[in-house]
Amino acid sequence: MPPGVEYYCPCLSSTPHPPPSSLASSLYSFHPLHSLFFCEECDAVRCNRCVMVEVSGYYCPNCLFEVPSASVRAEKNRCARNCFMCPNCQNTLTVVASDPPDNGETRTSPIVLSAVGEPPFFLYCNHCRWDSAEVDMTFEKPTGLAAQLQKFEDSAPEALEFERLKEHFEPFLPAASSALARDIPGVVKYNPLTRSRSGRDRAAAKSEIPDYRARVEAGSSHGLASGSGGEVDVDFMKHLETAGEVASLEQRWVNSWTTSLHANDLKPLRIPLHSKKSKRCPSCRHILIKPEQKAQSVRFKIKLVAANYLPAITVSLPHARAAMEMIKRSSALNKSTSTAVAEEHAAAASGAMIAGKTYPFHLAFTNPLYDPIQVRLHVQRTLTPSSADGKQKAPFAVTLPSSAFPIAAFAEAWEYEDDEDMFGDEGDYDGARGTKDRDGRARPRTVGVLERRANVTVVGGEVVLGKEARGNIKFNMLVTYTYRSDDPEPENDDPTATPSKRGTQDKQPQMKTFSFYTVVELGNIIRREESKVDMDP
Amino acid sequence: MSVPSTPRRHATIDAPTPSATPQTTRLTSSILQSSPHYTTTRRHSLYGTEDRIIIDPGSRVWKVGFSGEGKPRDVFLSRRKESGTLWSLNRATTTEEREEEDRLLEARLQICLRSVFHDSLLTDPKSRKVIIIEHPLLPLHIKEMMAKILFNNLQVPSISFASSHLLSLLAAGRITGLVLDCGHLETTVLPIYAARPLYPQLQTTPLAGARFSSHLRALLLLFGTYLPPPTSLSAAANIPVATRSTRVPEEVLTEAVIEELKTRICFVGEALDMSDSNMQSPPADDSMEMDAPPSDFAMSESDFSRVSADLQSNMSSQQAPESDYSVVSHSQAISNLDRPQPGETHLQALAKLYMRHSTATDLRIRVEPPASQQVGTGRGTLIVPGWIRERAAEVLFEGGDVDESSVAEVVLESLLKAPVDLRKTLASSILVTGGTPMLPGFIPRLQTELLRAVSPNPNNPSSSWSPNRRASRPMSYERYSALRSLVPYFAILNHPSPPPPATPRAAASAGKAPAFSPAALAWVGGSLAGYVHLAFPSLRKRVTFNLIVLSALKSGGVEITREKWDEAEAHTNPDESMEQPMDPNAHTTYNLLPDWTRTPLPVGAPPAVIRSQPAIAPASPQTTVGA
Repeated sequence: MPPGVEYYCPCLSSTPHPPPSSLASSLYSFHPLHSLFFCEECDAVRCNRCVMVEVSGYYCPNCLFEVPSASVRAEKNRCARNCFMCPNCQNTLTVVASDPPDNGETRTSPIVLSAVGEPPFFLYCNHCRWDSAEVDMTFEKPTGLAAQLQKFEDSAPEALEFERLKEHFEPFLPAASSALARDIPGVVKYNPLTRSRSGRDRAAAKSEIPDYRARVEAGSSHGLASGSGGEVDVDFMKHLETAGEVASLEQRWVNSWTTSLHANDLKPLRIPLHSKKSKRCPSCRHILIKPEQKAQSVRFKIKLVAANYLPAITVSLPHARAAMEMIKRSSALNKSTSTAVAEEHAAAASGAMIAGKTYPFHLAFTNPLYDPIQVRLHVQRTLTPSSADGKQKAPFAVTLPSSAFPIAAFAEAWEYEDDEDMFGDEGDYDGARGTKDRDGRARPRTVGVLERRANVTVVGGEVVLGKEARGNIKFNMLVTYTYRSDDPEPENDDPTATPSKRGTQDKQPQMKTFSFYTVVELGNIIRREESKVDMDP
Repeated sequence: MSVPSTPRRHATIDAPTPSATPQTTRLTSSILQSSPHYTTTRRHSLYGTEDRIIIDPGSRVWKVGFSGEGKPRDVFLSRRKESGTLWSLNRATTTEEREEEDRLLEARLQICLRSVFHDSLLTDPKSRKVIIIEHPLLPLHIKEMMAKILFNNLQVPSISFASSHLLSLLAAGRITGLVLDCGHLETTVLPIYAARPLYPQLQTTPLAGARFSSHLRALLLLFGTYLPPPTSLSAAANIPVATRSTRVPEEVLTEAVIEELKTRICFVGEALDMSDSNMQSPPADDSMEMDAPPSDFAMSESDFSRVSADLQSNMSSQQAPESDYSVVSHSQAISNLDRPQPGETHLQALAKLYMRHSTATDLRIRVEPPASQQVGTGRGTLIVPGWIRERAAEVLFEGGDVDESSVAEVVLESLLKAPVDLRKTLASSILVTGGTPMLPGFIPRLQTELLRAVSPNPNNPSSSWSPNRRASRPMSYERYSALRSLVPYFAILNHPSPPPPATPRAAASAGKAPAFSPAALAWVGGSLAGYVHLAFPSLRKRVTFNLIVLSALKSGGVEITREKWDEAEAHTNPDESMEQPMDPNAHTTYNLLPDWTRTPLPVGAPPAVIRSQPAIAPASPQTTVGA
């Protein structure tokens, strides 16, 4: 796993504090920043697991046609136009005309090669060269293929059988025409008549159901139809030459009817529609994101994404970067470097760390707000799991700068030019820079603010690995930031008690605090023994 | 009956419009829910075709769609790309682990359920009633969790639970029958009479898809061949296959590969007729262990396939290592392979026997080479012997264990428990559902095994009727002799090629079910039940059949609405906050969900009809403690 930071959404747990990151279930509570929303009303982060999703429109991903909701239902969420998917490779199929009849004279009649082409038309896959003529599916017209197929779909055996089943059970259903017999919930439900009468009818009831006569009986083919699981299938399986002859489970499992096992009997699939979704906050119902109606548009009418409110955090491991450079250098200059060293570098470059060592890491904070913010970090102490075996001690310890540090406001790039603020005081990151050129471990200073430029502040942290540490280095970090609110009175109707991107107002600014949890993943720990073996030449 | 032509109203039209009044949606929709106006407008057409959402959630595969349609809209793996199942037959033992397990389950269930609405069906959950097809043995905590997610996270207006076995039967057009559901985790048999599931007669065995997979894996590790990809493209031609071939590395057999093999190339061969003793007498080198070849053979076979093979008390010490072998199926295959095993000869004999009888072709499958051997070019080749393709499913038909009866034996066990006067009826309407019976040849083989298990076990093991596998058991006692009179009645409703029926009753039902695929039966039944569902409550007023269906559809009839749920939750929450989460399971909501395990069931014979109706109909008010 590459090092990374994910943000916490408390929707899955009952407490505002995240579960310890060592638990597998914590995985589901953390999300990448770009997938999160921010509700201004509730002043809270919302994720895709808790927002309420509403469909604001359907469209075909292939032809980008917006499908009215009425026909969505009738067409079973599939494109009702010319869009089909190859049953083998799921590529989009194209409509191809037949070759013009070869009447000896080539190129003499341009009319034949008209834009439309010769019927019959069929569907062709440009990727795997499947074509619908293989399954005897040809069309008279190159347009409206779905409509041409509709009659086949309507007469599909499962549909007909299903209708028949409905009819079979119908006598036992109330006459729909008698409106009085309709059930009005809560009114007729406990009608005393129901009970008294039911006893008498019961004896007669048992024999009331006649045997159902299936339209197509499972045994009617005597095992001769493919797919029924009878002798023919067994025989076919027995003499199988390649696995590819049999359609895969995914290709067959939507069929509720016994369908052929043969891969070459597969029918083209209509492309399933996609929907444009708008999402609402689960508690206050305000819209968090709302796309534009048009299928072609990728813009949003409303977009309250967390990336606009929370500082973006990226984590990097200087030792991995250094190792990467070492690899490059050594491979470029001298090939004689021992493989062991190279391997160690390779391991380090991939973010692995050796147990018992201390590593620095960098966290870069990017401020999306138009106001400078003060950030303070806390590592969530992992509650020592009271499990019996010697895992009492946390396998690693993380040190982060404890004091608040500033991040400059976001501004358009050109505004930074002669802004003095963008350069932090040199002394701050001099040390940090000094560490880079040599071996990445002994440094004067690793914890603290290392760099400030524009709206990015890089802070250094340090992780000390225990000798017996193993597994992933992952820890929860509470990020608290203070920003200037434009709205002095919280009880004011105007709901801007959030880090909204507002211009400055004339009111007295007030400082507000927002905090959120993140999980920081640094990488894997390699056991010391293994690495030692590697290091010894 | 012009049912098909009935115009259906599009549901989104009459859906309450929550978007206009976000704050009050919850309230609005629920009010609309119960107002007569709402119902009458909606039940405009013949059945009141408000589409319900039918979810058939399995531990591995979910089928979802709308009621009133003949096939599911979408089918997906519950864990998507990941391997594994949503839940298993095991539960963690310690409290912390169990809590963690629950959290994981909840998160995963939430992913599944949300994707049902948002990805598969593209519909608004707030306006759709949901029917969940539940397996009778679906653990309550899972049921509860689904209800919680559906009500709280997705805010569906109501949920009904319906028994998968009963629904399968409905899809076959019947209301009486013996339903065998062979899924991934377990195989369950449930007799149903007049739409009333006889839960006390439910029988189950863990021999199902998952066991089949692990057996297949074990066989491949032992008898499969793997050709690593050639180190360079030119080298391929020069090195003969024989020198390149190796044993199958375990990493090659990922769950996806096994699944692919299982669903694409495996099938169920006909039962081997072991009577021919020279056919099955193993090669000479094995004979020293086999004084009674048939029985011994059977033993080795079942040992091999079973994890807990120590049930055979008469197992010789020589064969003990074989039971180690069974562990193979669970991981240590490689380590076992390296040391010489006395049992191996046995297995070889078994393999040879199967090989001799199998005419199935060997297949080459392209597989990803394991990460450690990623040196070659392209993919490796896995050679699957034909007999493995044909005989891997034998594991499902080998019974003998008390706790793990074969698929045929569970049927018989259930029949044994069933009331005597129902046995003929049940035996002549066996319905096979579930994913594993999709294996070609499964149903015919099941019929053979049923007859074989019941038929008398002659003293002479080499007589023509001798089913070998039975011979290994203590033969003094024939468990199913009581069922012997049923032999002419055995009929499988969805048998693809029913044998000539012996009795008119068998003739009336063998192979007479509609040719729905076994895996989809439950879903189709759910769709059917959902289609007529709105009409069901008023059924109470009419015929007794309806009463029976209704009450037996225990869950199908009882619908839990969100108001009830919220109410129950509101009751719980203050309590919880007071007591702290010390007792997180003290939910009143638990009691809200109907389940047959909570219904006071009469002991013994199926309930007399008169008693049952009042008992079950008001079940929901009784159980809603919080409401």
